[in-house]
Amino acid sequence: MTARLPSGHERLDQILDGGLPANAINMIIGPPGSGKTILSQQYVFHNASPDRPAVYLSTVSEPFDKILRYAESLGFFDPAAVGKSVFYEDLGGALIANGLEGARASIDRILKGRRPAMLVIDSFKALRAFCSDEAQFRRFLHELASELSALAVSSFWVGEYEREEATQAPEFAVADAILALSLRRLNAREIRVLQVVKLRGSGFASGEHAYRVSSRGIDVFPRLADPTDLSAYAMGSERVSTGVAALDGLLGDGYWQGSSTVVAGPTGVGKTLLGLHFILGGAARGEPGIIASLQENESQLSRLAGGFGWSLHAPGVEVMSRSPVDIYIDEWVYELLDRVQKVGARRVLIDSLGDLSLAAGEELRFREWMYSLTQRFSRLGISPLMTLEIADLFEVRRLSEGAFSQLADNVVVLQYIRSRSEIRRAVTVLKTRASQHDIQIREFRISEEGIVLGEPLRDA
Amino acid sequence: MADSSQTPAYSISAVARMLGISPSALRSWEERYGTVRPARSKGSQRQYSRAQVDQLLFVKGQLDDGVQLSQAFRLLAQQLEMGVQPAAAPVRPPSHPILILLAERDPYAAELEEYFLRTEGYDVRVALSAAEAERLLTEQSPEVVIVDLLISGNQGLDFCRRIRERGGIRVLAVAAMDLGDEALAAGAEAFLQKPLAPLQLVSTVKDLLGTSALARVGARMPAR
Repeated sequence: MTARLPSGHERLDQILDGGLPANAINMIIGPPGSGKTILSQQYVFHNASPDRPAVYLSTVSEPFDKILRYAESLGFFDPAAVGKSVFYEDLGGALIANGLEGARASIDRILKGRRPAMLVIDSFKALRAFCSDEAQFRRFLHELASELSALAVSSFWVGEYEREEATQAPEFAVADAILALSLRRLNAREIRVLQVVKLRGSGFASGEHAYRVSSRGIDVFPRLADPTDLSAYAMGSERVSTGVAALDGLLGDGYWQGSSTVVAGPTGVGKTLLGLHFILGGAARGEPGIIASLQENESQLSRLAGGFGWSLHAPGVEVMSRSPVDIYIDEWVYELLDRVQKVGARRVLIDSLGDLSLAAGEELRFREWMYSLTQRFSRLGISPLMTLEIADLFEVRRLSEGAFSQLADNVVVLQYIRSRSEIRRAVTVLKTRASQHDIQIREFRISEEGIVLGEPLRDA
Repeated sequence: MADSSQTPAYSISAVARMLGISPSALRSWEERYGTVRPARSKGSQRQYSRAQVDQLLFVKGQLDDGVQLSQAFRLLAQQLEMGVQPAAAPVRPPSHPILILLAERDPYAAELEEYFLRTEGYDVRVALSAAEAERLLTEQSPEVVIVDLLISGNQGLDFCRRIRERGGIRVLAVAAMDLGDEALAAGAEAFLQKPLAPLQLVSTVKDLLGTSALARVGARMPAR
């Protein structure tokens, strides 16, 4: 493997299979405001040392002083490093006075004088305006790339290029790696996405990875898309209780450990309640669980649980409540996976899939995401229970969000049943993978102790 | 990023010469104490890093001060355990400009390497082809030759062998590919994979010249 240049951000390096290639030409492209300058400075401050300094060259689109002024507000900016291991210099003057020849001479002087291990040119795209014809620009590119390739220097060419330009502009052919930052419209909102367009000599995590920009720098959330790994997909040999004794019986003694369950049903029917049974029942048996809610906040959940005499502060119960507004599914899932690891969770309640599906924006993406998540849980022997709201209030005839239930090992449907003047609740186990189960429509009621199963409905 | 002082570069004979001891003594130190274990190339040749050379120089310094070998290695192990890397041995400045022949296929690399070597006070002749390098070797008698193994369609290894036949010339081989084994087998004393960091290039040349600088008295003077 070629030597790598880490970013200091573990998840970004994961996407890049270890990091960008060291001693190579790396391009960071994207529209104004996408965080290109911030990302390149993250690399600079993470890697520069007095022995292996970095030089940051501004050209003509970002004035020199402005880059420094904004850089100062970034969490990773180290003023003590400036002038010792990080050097900011202006290439704009040489460009304006002597065009590309002037820029080449300045870069040559810097490479020999400062002997940098990293060299950033921001904006590289601005250089194009200083050439009279294509041939001149290509000659400049060839000479610059040749000189940079002759030295152990990692260079970053930063520019406001469109993604489409990556297939045409000659600088992209010279580059060893290309990272594209862009804004993607999802319904009424915009999300920032990072994509690896090219990475010579290495694999990388393909597709669009959401990221956020803050004063801490760029925070990336790799697209959860685990490759199919049939060997690793093995449900445990133990059963886990649903937390409702009679329902365990319907399932043939509960769920298999590591299996995923979708609880589908209309609003108010008791999906969250069944989920609480699952988590609190598990915690009581010494199996820690996480309630990951996008529906209710912690106090609403506490009130709901308190109504049945339960406490969410019980040992082994962790609540992760997030608003579904402006949520990134991959950001959310990494937080969940971190929490799972931290508390050693064996059970997870996800309430609800609908919120996450809306946040994903695309059905295909959401299916891939959910598939990866359930596979990961399965490999870890963690049993997720996921709620899914369905529109039909009565007599559920089909699951319109069938794709979600296909991805789950178990599907439990809760529904309302009209019976003369009263409305009753009923539960049906539609599917359990790898076990026998009764396909009955069983009445249930919500009592002071939670869900209590009644008799099968013969003629509802 | 990798610290260049940890990069395996030097052959056992180069290190033995730098220390003024035999390669067999070096092998026995490695076997008995295991404190300084050079990396092995694909072809199982020992390749010492600059840091390891400094460690062995530390041991040698202790021996010269009358310390027993086992005690010298114990002192080294203690230093390394504390995270202290023995400092590089000072190199005595040469009494005259040293001539380096740079046989480099890439004109951009040649220009930069020449610049970095000249700023260190070396006299440099550049050849961009194997034929030119042969001519300069005969005419100029350099003390060090830096050879890009891929020069003139991979003629660098043959060139290394011919330099070895002449004897007394330090050879630093470089290439974009990992040809360390082939280089050492052809007589090079050190190999560096390109691209080169200026500091690494200069310090490797200094290391190769280190003992020759110390042992310069009475040594062959280059014919100019």
